[in-house]
Amino acid sequence: MKVRGSLAQATKKNLNESLNADMLERIAKDIFPDYDLHVRTGFPPNIPLTGQVAAGRIVDDAVDEGRYLQLIERLARLDREGFMGRAYRINGLYDLIKAVETEGYIWDAETGHLMEDPRIRRTPNWGRLFEGEEFRFSLLRIDVVKNSRIVKVHGENLARDAFDDLRGILARVVERRSGRVWNWQGDGALAGFLFGHSTTASVLAGMALLHELFLYDRLHNRIGEPLRVRAAVHTGPLRYHEDPREILKQETVREVMEIESRWTPPGSLVISPAVAPTLDRVILDRFKSSSGDSSRYLAYEIRLGGT
Amino acid sequence: MKILAYIADEGLSRLAAVLERALPADAELEVLPRSGLGRNGRKKVPKTFVYLDAEGLTPEKILELGSRLDDYGCSGWGVLDRSGTVEDPAGLFFAGAGDYVGPPLLKAPTARAAGANKRRSAFDADRVSRALAAAGIAGEEPAAARPPFPGWDKLEEGTGVAVRFCYAALANQRELLERIGETRLNKLREDFAAFLGPWAAECGGLVWIREGGGNLLLFPPTDEGINPVLAAFRLLLDRVLVGYEVFRLETPLSFRFAFHAGRTMWRKPGSTGDVVSEDVNFIFHLGSRASPDGTIVVTECAESLVPHCLRDLFSPSGDYEGRQLLASKRFRD
Repeated sequence: MKVRGSLAQATKKNLNESLNADMLERIAKDIFPDYDLHVRTGFPPNIPLTGQVAAGRIVDDAVDEGRYLQLIERLARLDREGFMGRAYRINGLYDLIKAVETEGYIWDAETGHLMEDPRIRRTPNWGRLFEGEEFRFSLLRIDVVKNSRIVKVHGENLARDAFDDLRGILARVVERRSGRVWNWQGDGALAGFLFGHSTTASVLAGMALLHELFLYDRLHNRIGEPLRVRAAVHTGPLRYHEDPREILKQETVREVMEIESRWTPPGSLVISPAVAPTLDRVILDRFKSSSGDSSRYLAYEIRLGGT
Repeated sequence: MKILAYIADEGLSRLAAVLERALPADAELEVLPRSGLGRNGRKKVPKTFVYLDAEGLTPEKILELGSRLDDYGCSGWGVLDRSGTVEDPAGLFFAGAGDYVGPPLLKAPTARAAGANKRRSAFDADRVSRALAAAGIAGEEPAAARPPFPGWDKLEEGTGVAVRFCYAALANQRELLERIGETRLNKLREDFAAFLGPWAAECGGLVWIREGGGNLLLFPPTDEGINPVLAAFRLLLDRVLVGYEVFRLETPLSFRFAFHAGRTMWRKPGSTGDVVSEDVNFIFHLGSRASPDGTIVVTECAESLVPHCLRDLFSPSGDYEGRQLLASKRFRD
């Protein structure tokens, strides 16, 4: 995020009014590992720093190193939860958040994150991840069943239209839940979820995808046969890279692709054992053992009964 | 010009899609399940060409149904023979049929088939127009169009209006009461009613009356946006997502819907105390007493509300207070 000079100045002023230098350094350490205020400012360690100097240095560093959003989020958490049992009030916090929102971000009060406003832009890194940073992502992998046969039987034009429709549906269900579609590779796709309840969001996106395709087949499908996918959700550590090929090489991605290709029946969504314990009961109960009771994987599919 | 198609439940949506593509631009298509032919009291179908799906019918049964259609006053009738079960198509014409469409022209529109159809005589607007012309209804002025719905705020209070009713309620309310308690259930009912407002508005409707745990919604007599049965079906399909993401419930949630078409005196929402209407009473009774949880029930009067793409998911479900019902299949958890 590009931070205007006036916003940086307002942030420094509010921090100086709200926190002393020690507390400011504690906050900075949550954002920058091994942050040392004296090293950063160049003052000898035996010289106490004023709040004004500390606030100025920390805000400048946050702006220069692209951590301004994290700084505001950390301040919001401090304002809401306090620190070590003590309450802290951050002057002008509401105005700071409003100023960030005017730059194309929205405040998600539930997760305490400033997210890209999807009406303005949707970047693969949510406008805030850095190359090589490692986080625990939740991944949704989908694959079109018998993709080649669809192209062969129905022709390239109809097949392309159907896959375009599928891309649109996937983008909708993923982005609505703050995820990002990272990669379309032939007949498959990979979407990442990071913020908030990321595993739940990815599972709900997978379920919504199956629902949307159920209706798509009846309302808009022109290929004359159901467009079916296999979908799988898995969670694990992953380094973010702008180059999707670098993302695809990683272990967690390989695992979710294997779950999708080996353990997922057509027309269903399978979750890995790492995902299942993170789900609320009301969601988890919709999943059944995917291939016999001994399977480690749980599957969801749309099942119709009688009237 | 109007075309009515009676199609077997199996594969209804696919065949309906083929028909829809073949229609002349000024034609209006209504698709009904063949099982309802003669059941739903549709005795008069003037200025209408009727296509009958021959799937699973014996030649004698086809002729019997064709004869019945003649009795109903249709302008002409034709046969859709997707599996080639009719051994003697010429015999149909001797028996009064106006068109016969065989299997090659009723296949799914694959790229290859589309090319083939161009080379053969296609089941398209020209063909249907020829059948209509032979039946003496092509080229006629279209029937006077129904005046557009003026909008709820333009209706005059106290006058009678034709509307489509929808009763919408949370399913399994007794179980919900045990799980979340009375206070939260009441709040959930409030939230559900608030949710239904914009939901109905997308279909051109509104929440009219709230009574107990149920809500009576009104929709215009013609589609003014999303088809309300389709919207209700989507809600049942998404019930887990809606319960969790919209209502933040940690317990399973579902709904039940009942649709009916009829007349009522118009009063604005909140001023409906003096409304006396047999149809309003009926829909409340149907919705609160005879609609199974997790389903959509549609009376014969509102049968055309069911989009043809969902028709195979509805089946006859007996009658209630003298009206035949269709009920949707239920999603299993």
